[in-house]
Amino acid sequence: MATEKPDTHQVLMDDDGEEPDIKRGMFEAWAAKAIKNPKRTYKAMFYTATIFFLVTTLFPFYWLFQVALTPRDNLQDVGLVPSGFDPSLLAQGDITMGTNPGVFLEVFTLIPFHRYMINSFVIATVTTIVVIVVASLAGYVFGRLRFPGKGPMMLLVLIVSFFPPAAFFIPLNELFNTNIDILRPILTDGSLYNTPYAMVVPFSAIFMPLSIFILTTFYAQIPDGLEDAARIEGTTRLGALFRVIMPLSAPGVATAGVLTFIAVYNEFFFSFLMTDGSAENWAPIVDGILQYQGQYEVLFNVMAAASIVGVLPVAILVVVAQEKIVSGLTAGALKE
Amino acid sequence: MATDHTNSPVDSGTDSGGVLSPVFTWMENLSEAAYAYLLLIPGFLLLALVAFYPLLSTLRMSLLADQTRGAEPLGGFVGLENYMNVLTGETRLSRQLIDVALTTEFPFIELGTPFFRQALFVTLAFAILSVIFETAIGFGQAMVLDQEFKGRRWVRVAIIIPWAIPIVIQGMLFFLLFQPTVGFGSGLMQALGIFGDNPLASSSDSFIIVLVADIWKTSAFMALLILAGLQSVDRSLYDVAKVAGATPWQRFKMITLPIVMPALIVAMLFRTMDAMRVYGIIESTAGCSTVPSMTCMVIDGLFGGTRIYGTAAAVAFLTAALIGVFIAVYLAKFRDSDGGFA
Repeated sequence: MATEKPDTHQVLMDDDGEEPDIKRGMFEAWAAKAIKNPKRTYKAMFYTATIFFLVTTLFPFYWLFQVALTPRDNLQDVGLVPSGFDPSLLAQGDITMGTNPGVFLEVFTLIPFHRYMINSFVIATVTTIVVIVVASLAGYVFGRLRFPGKGPMMLLVLIVSFFPPAAFFIPLNELFNTNIDILRPILTDGSLYNTPYAMVVPFSAIFMPLSIFILTTFYAQIPDGLEDAARIEGTTRLGALFRVIMPLSAPGVATAGVLTFIAVYNEFFFSFLMTDGSAENWAPIVDGILQYQGQYEVLFNVMAAASIVGVLPVAILVVVAQEKIVSGLTAGALKE
Repeated sequence: MATDHTNSPVDSGTDSGGVLSPVFTWMENLSEAAYAYLLLIPGFLLLALVAFYPLLSTLRMSLLADQTRGAEPLGGFVGLENYMNVLTGETRLSRQLIDVALTTEFPFIELGTPFFRQALFVTLAFAILSVIFETAIGFGQAMVLDQEFKGRRWVRVAIIIPWAIPIVIQGMLFFLLFQPTVGFGSGLMQALGIFGDNPLASSSDSFIIVLVADIWKTSAFMALLILAGLQSVDRSLYDVAKVAGATPWQRFKMITLPIVMPALIVAMLFRTMDAMRVYGIIESTAGCSTVPSMTCMVIDGLFGGTRIYGTAAAVAFLTAALIGVFIAVYLAKFRDSDGGFA
């Protein structure tokens, strides 16, 4: 609402606003101005709302950082700065100023947290690649080709996202725990449990529908002439998709990729249940973080530090790719 | 832009055959429909393996008897008995789906166990309350993001970030915030008289913690979807309304809300579906026995000591059915709202 350009009428009012009315108190003066000039009120409301949202979303992270930096003995009272924080210690040559930055190393020495992060990273990357390739094929078909049964097939894809993961989980858990002989050469005991495949396969299917819808929208927008031109010059059908349509829809592909990566990195259900929780068995970040909770000694500061470390990759991704995230969520949701 | 993309791929496009060239030739000669089905095979294979087969299999399991001993986890066909047992509360699960009795006195309903220990109520209350709060807050955030102002980029990043963090870290954050030793959350809520002595062990207090955690994380998702609706509003409509003397509230009610409505309903539908599956944030804060959601019950049936796969499968399908009811309500609403065919 406040995007309206200030119209001349109200600018005039603003000038008048400085009437010499000294008897009023500060609040009354402000209120009188606000009544005369509603624009000011909206402006004030807007800034209040913005600051409120910024504080509520960011303060928890700030507080987490303070918990991480607080030495373990002082954890009873964490305020706006770590207790024990004393800038005057800097003069005495203590660059930590009474805080405990070493906790960020402890995160990795206590348990192999980097292994968990790498596992998560690999699983998310592989899933993203699988999803992009498979969803590209489907998106191309739904966005550019005409064939009987298109509507029902799109509906079938959509239906998958209606079911709770719990409804898929029981048979998948059994399937992945079965020893399958043909898999024995690749996997030690022939079962998928405790391997990255036990997560990549379900994730690929669960997060594929959103990517299919995003890519369908983007691929449908490429003019037919461009594809025809490439085909006339001798490109194969698949070549036209991967060499013409996909590069031209790069923003859409990036959007689908970013959303899939974030979704997989953040997933809890399958990540938590498809491995036994040890880093060597491809357990992702979920199990890494929960390991600190299960320690016999209560390590609140290490939990906080690990959480910050775990957030960093997605935080960076959000900063870099925020436009893609916004456009992807809106395109994906509104077309369905 | 078009030319430089179409030229380069063509040069390399012709020599990509090699061993696969018969395959490519075969693909070239397929009809459009046949080619379409061919390209859909990988996607549908994946969906068949991970979604369609497990769904049917779960449905079958839910009709078989639990078998807690022996090699086979499932017994003979029992029809809808598992569903009946789940609904009447006669299961070996540590928390019941629903446990109420009818009485003759005023509310006519008596709770067998406390409200927040019954999975159906926990799930419903969580879904409804979280969607209401997230819609309101998300709308506010979307209104802020819809303005042009300096630093909007960074405000947007700040608002999106909670949505993008892993559920387990969100859980850890709120666990620490409400952990009586380190966190100030519990002290604050106790001072206000809302929380009891040990919030993370009390079902109703933990429910509030889980709810707040979810609202904190997912409001941004609502905000982004609503923002899409807001940005489709034609700005000149506001000018017309202003000339006609409409107050800001009238402008909001008569222009913004009707245009945003379809996007709003879609966003709420997505959130409701998601909220009904709540599990991770509960598991990583208070734990499933304190705040039992329906998904918690499924996991409890699978790994919670006694092996009751049939019951677990029945709960999973009841969850799906409940989600289906909500979808039906939303779709009816969506049809009623203007622009349902947008």
